Amino acid sequence: MAAPRAAAASAKQVTRWNFAEAVRELEAHLGACDYVSVAAQKTGAPTGWRRALPVDTAETAYLKAKLAAESFQPLQVAVCPFLLRNSSPSTLVAYPYNFHLFPRDELQLGMPSYSFSCQSSYLSTMANDGFDFNMCIYDGISYLSRVQESLARQKIFTPCLRQLLPSTRISVADSVFMSRIKSRIAHWRKGHTGPSKKDDDPLISSLSRLLSGGESYGSRPSMSIDVCSDRQVQLVLEAVNHISDDLVPLVVPDKAGAARAVCVIFTSSKEDKNLLLMDIQKSEDEQNFKYRGFREVIDLLSSSQKPIISYNCLNDLTMMHSKFVAPLPPNMHEFMCSLKLVFSNVVDISHLWRQIGPLRKAKNIQAALSFLQRQYFVPMEIKMPQQDGTSSVAKNEQNVLRITKLFAKLSNLLKIGPECQLQSGEQCAAVEEYCNIFYPSCMVEDSDGVDFANEPDTAKTVSTDNIIFLWGFRGKSVKELKSYLPGLHQAFSEDFEVKLLDKTCSALIFRNSDTAMQLLKEISSESPSLNNFFSEGLKAAGFEVYRKVCRLGLWDSDLAEALDGVSSETADSTLSERNSSQIYWNSSSMLDLKEYLEC
Amino acid sequence: MQGRLRRLVRAPPPRALLSRALSSSPPSGGGGGGDVGSGVAVKQVTRGNLAEALEELRGRVREAAFVGLDLEMSGVTSAPWRDTFELDRADVRYLKLRDSAERFAALQLGVCPFRWDPAKSAFVAHPHNFFIFPRKELPSDCSSHEFLCQTASIDFLAKYQFDFNTCFREGISYLSREQEEEAVQKLNLLHQDRTCASSTTSEEGGDMPLKSASDILFTERMKMNFKEWRDLLVSKPDSHLSGNIKCAAGQFQTVFFKMRPAIMLIGFSSHQLKLIQQVLRKNFRDLVYICTSGEDDTSEKRVVYSDTDEDKIMLMKDVQEDLLKNREARVKSAIGIRHVIDLLSSERKLIVGHSCFLDIAQVYSKFVGPLPSSINEFALSIHKIFPHIADTRHLMSVNQAVQKLMRQKSKSLSSAFSLLYPASHSCVEKPSSLAPVRIEVEGDETETSCFISGAKHEAGYDAYMTGCVFAQLCTYLDIKFEQLSPQDNLATNNKLHKHINLLSPSWNSGTVIDLSSGMERPDPGYMRRYPAAVYDNIVLIWGFMSKVRPKEIKDCICKVFGPGSVTSIFSIDSTAALVQFTKRESVSDFLDLKAVLERTDSAISILHPMSTILEGGQTRAAKYDTYRDICSSSESKYLFADQAEAVCATSKDLLQENVDDNLISDVHQSILDGTVLTSVNKADGTNSGSKNEDDADITCQHILDALHDGRALFGRRMRS
Repeated sequence: MAAPRAAAASAKQVTRWNFAEAVRELEAHLGACDYVSVAAQKTGAPTGWRRALPVDTAETAYLKAKLAAESFQPLQVAVCPFLLRNSSPSTLVAYPYNFHLFPRDELQLGMPSYSFSCQSSYLSTMANDGFDFNMCIYDGISYLSRVQESLARQKIFTPCLRQLLPSTRISVADSVFMSRIKSRIAHWRKGHTGPSKKDDDPLISSLSRLLSGGESYGSRPSMSIDVCSDRQVQLVLEAVNHISDDLVPLVVPDKAGAARAVCVIFTSSKEDKNLLLMDIQKSEDEQNFKYRGFREVIDLLSSSQKPIISYNCLNDLTMMHSKFVAPLPPNMHEFMCSLKLVFSNVVDISHLWRQIGPLRKAKNIQAALSFLQRQYFVPMEIKMPQQDGTSSVAKNEQNVLRITKLFAKLSNLLKIGPECQLQSGEQCAAVEEYCNIFYPSCMVEDSDGVDFANEPDTAKTVSTDNIIFLWGFRGKSVKELKSYLPGLHQAFSEDFEVKLLDKTCSALIFRNSDTAMQLLKEISSESPSLNNFFSEGLKAAGFEVYRKVCRLGLWDSDLAEALDGVSSETADSTLSERNSSQIYWNSSSMLDLKEYLEC
Repeated sequence: MQGRLRRLVRAPPPRALLSRALSSSPPSGGGGGGDVGSGVAVKQVTRGNLAEALEELRGRVREAAFVGLDLEMSGVTSAPWRDTFELDRADVRYLKLRDSAERFAALQLGVCPFRWDPAKSAFVAHPHNFFIFPRKELPSDCSSHEFLCQTASIDFLAKYQFDFNTCFREGISYLSREQEEEAVQKLNLLHQDRTCASSTTSEEGGDMPLKSASDILFTERMKMNFKEWRDLLVSKPDSHLSGNIKCAAGQFQTVFFKMRPAIMLIGFSSHQLKLIQQVLRKNFRDLVYICTSGEDDTSEKRVVYSDTDEDKIMLMKDVQEDLLKNREARVKSAIGIRHVIDLLSSERKLIVGHSCFLDIAQVYSKFVGPLPSSINEFALSIHKIFPHIADTRHLMSVNQAVQKLMRQKSKSLSSAFSLLYPASHSCVEKPSSLAPVRIEVEGDETETSCFISGAKHEAGYDAYMTGCVFAQLCTYLDIKFEQLSPQDNLATNNKLHKHINLLSPSWNSGTVIDLSSGMERPDPGYMRRYPAAVYDNIVLIWGFMSKVRPKEIKDCICKVFGPGSVTSIFSIDSTAALVQFTKRESVSDFLDLKAVLERTDSAISILHPMSTILEGGQTRAAKYDTYRDICSSSESKYLFADQAEAVCATSKDLLQENVDDNLISDVHQSILDGTVLTSVNKADGTNSGSKNEDDADITCQHILDALHDGRALFGRRMRS
């Protein structure tokens, strides 16, 4: 693999040992930056017909992305906040971070993920590129999604400080309870504040401690007061408050989360108390790390509201949603609504480069970048203030830096500017115009070649009514099919395109939707004109059947197998309730998700 | 190690066990007294040194008395409900094990031959640790090679310093016997196609129209270059020797290919190569375009000069044969780690594993072919491959003395090892224990680089420990190694013979399977935790609210079917449970009642005691066979209820309602006839078409009583 220019720079490597510090830095950088680019390295990608195909509608493409997001595991997520200044030459300042992830079950609750899929070809490419799996698995940061965190919080309870509510009316019973508690605590406290009796026999002092019901919290003396309701907790807190400032009450919960006892801790001085409070805060932070882990970064990105720049958006964002936010909803519309609440602006870099005519044919980010390099003069000064000094650069970092650079150049060409720069007098387009339009990647993602696609660049929209799925042709090639089908039925004498979807099934795209519909009708009624067709073992179905296969999630088998199962079951029922939609019959298919956001 | 890992992952509660395992023997450090984790040289084998290791191993296995075997896998269960339970029927248990063996990858194979040395009167062991990774080695192979990792297992391996980098980078790939056959077939087919195609014409491919100006210019330039080179060759045959030709502006490197002058085509795009082929086809009869695969997977393209047509045909034939040989060699090398299994199989030695059913199933699924559909088929086919298998875990249970020794102890491999082989210096002779058999480990002095001191949960070291435990167990069975000649196969020893080929499918199955006959029978030594299951009396319930505890389900059912109607209830996970009734009829009674209650949209369904179970409207119930069908599905959802829904969505007929409509209305009527219920319906405002129109004030108790009556009535009808 040719070493790209980006390889010179490397990102800050973050594992669980330096995570806290890295998050603090990232937070500062995020505040100062205009955009954030994001890229993820996963354990695999769907193969065969489970990839996004040219025949996919937005809906089926989403279902496929959902499958990938749910089965594969991100091992690295690179995050790069950057800022752009359109002075001449324009300046790009980037702060790349590379987070290593592993879904370790920190809380022993079977979360975040019980198991995940790996694709061996993916892993061996990663291994050849020098990916450090040991680092990931040993020291990767774990995480819980927002939903998982709230589940975990219902299962695990730790002692915590609780605010004293303004006192309400106190009944007689309450005041009796309180005065009893008060005297118990005061008596116990006296044992620790009174003149120190150092000469005492250690046996006697430990005995007296035993009698007074004292325990210890770390190195500090403490006592535990059993409570049976939240009301009693308040009373105990109030009592403690009345006695002295040097006592710190911690509410101890039981397994179900209800308060079981209040642990009163004695501190010897004001400094000691502050120290204790800091300790408690620290252990809470540690606990929070166990709950959130890497998700802290996602929450930061979300709250910063900076536009997210990514490539292969549909896949990466469904992954992020399912791992860090919540399980993916069953359809695209709900997904977009939910995503919008987390990241309001997401820019698919491949949508951006398609705005520049000649670039439309670029197959991947590398191709787009090198085309720009050759054809356009975009002077740019690139600064990366933080350098890790490691020489090996993971693919993931390369990608995030490529996205960053490409975005910088494109935004220069397209005159996109962050709002803060609008005063420069130039006509600036807001980045929001390009947001939330995703391209499902049916392109070969892994090839680093810079070849341009040699196909016509005019994407035509085709209705799903024009598509027929054909299987049972036993390994014939596209060319063979095209010459073989016209002999079987007159419908095939018309002009149609053939595309192999996997080794068992191909899609026929007819110019005329009537031909396709007519053919389907004849097939479902088993018309005698199709005798040749059937006796060859051929089968066909319309888009509705394919849609159903995707919706049911019959991903485990070959496409032919799946279509066969569904079509035999719903042969006639589907014809009536068809709803056609559009696909973009080209590899550069686009999903305008704004359509999905009319909510 | 399998026993241990499996138990760690499976046995409830994993946390406690894991921490115990970790605290009892820290993985690192390596100098532990009781833990003989150090000092044993284990040969590490990766892609680089497989060939020589294999040669050496062949000799070692040949002279071995038995061979220890162990596997490390990327996981054990794909979802919590896929754990094997004591309550599982044999076929269900096998389906669960099959799922595990098929889904997860084998990451390490430990093989340790033990040779009896009469001179030393000790065993000599040679532990080997093979790294495995299912890489795609053949271009023709289009299976996806996807495997599952169980997070807990991977994390567990990481705690024991498993080297994932070595595994993924250097791990040895494999083809199963079936995959190999398939590859060879494809190869032959391909070869036939090629020879046919080349003998007719190479005109195939059709002409590409030259669309752009750049294509036309490029084509012209190439035509000129080739012509110039060819003319030069014809006019001055020696010129080719003199090195690169000037005319091509340094673009061509001249070489010889099969004694003929040729030029290498380097740095052209695939589109350009197509254009070049077209130029050659159209303009030069004596220049041949040849594509061969060079080293490390790259293909080399050349233009070769051949002066006559016969020569051309000969050249093509030559190239084809090379291609075939090359491909055959690649298939052979792609077999990879399976050579080790083939070797063990062909030597017919006694294979020793610890709690090794799953290991053996893994070996079968990865190196032989897809696992058969039933356990006895599996047993018989594995018996053909490995005729003698001994399981140390089973052996531990057949000897009284060992059982006494192991009482209250964990049956895991490392626990057995440390008990039977107390470290020599801290050896406190127990009256009941026999002196340990002497075992030496022999490393190869010449190349120490690939030897690493063994550590627990490394397959090579675990295979060694298994062998040691086995040797010691043999002494308890009163087997005298002194009488063993070096060439003897231990498997034929008559004291051992009745204990081999008996494996427990899982640690909690309570059965052993006889591999030679394929029969599974109860293990007399097993202590059951649950009463034996009667599968006809079992109902599977899933999809109830997650807050409902198994106890509540039992109480609910007992309220309707009477106390004592439920023998036991077993929770599969938080969304599903198996309920065993005392009577077989109760199963269908329950299913019918549930169907009725779900169809009745009235107060009955809310007030009925069963409503606790049915709340939420997602509750499903079925007979035990449905459980088997759900387990056999290739889906893998985390929660059982989700899995069951997914399976039922794909095959509708699986979950057909167990009662037809007639019966329901019948039953419904019978409930309605039980006087009071009509008034409930009436009070609800629903007119259910009943003729009975009493107006009576009723209480909850009335309704409950009525339901009991209704059930009894309905039961009577069913039986009549």
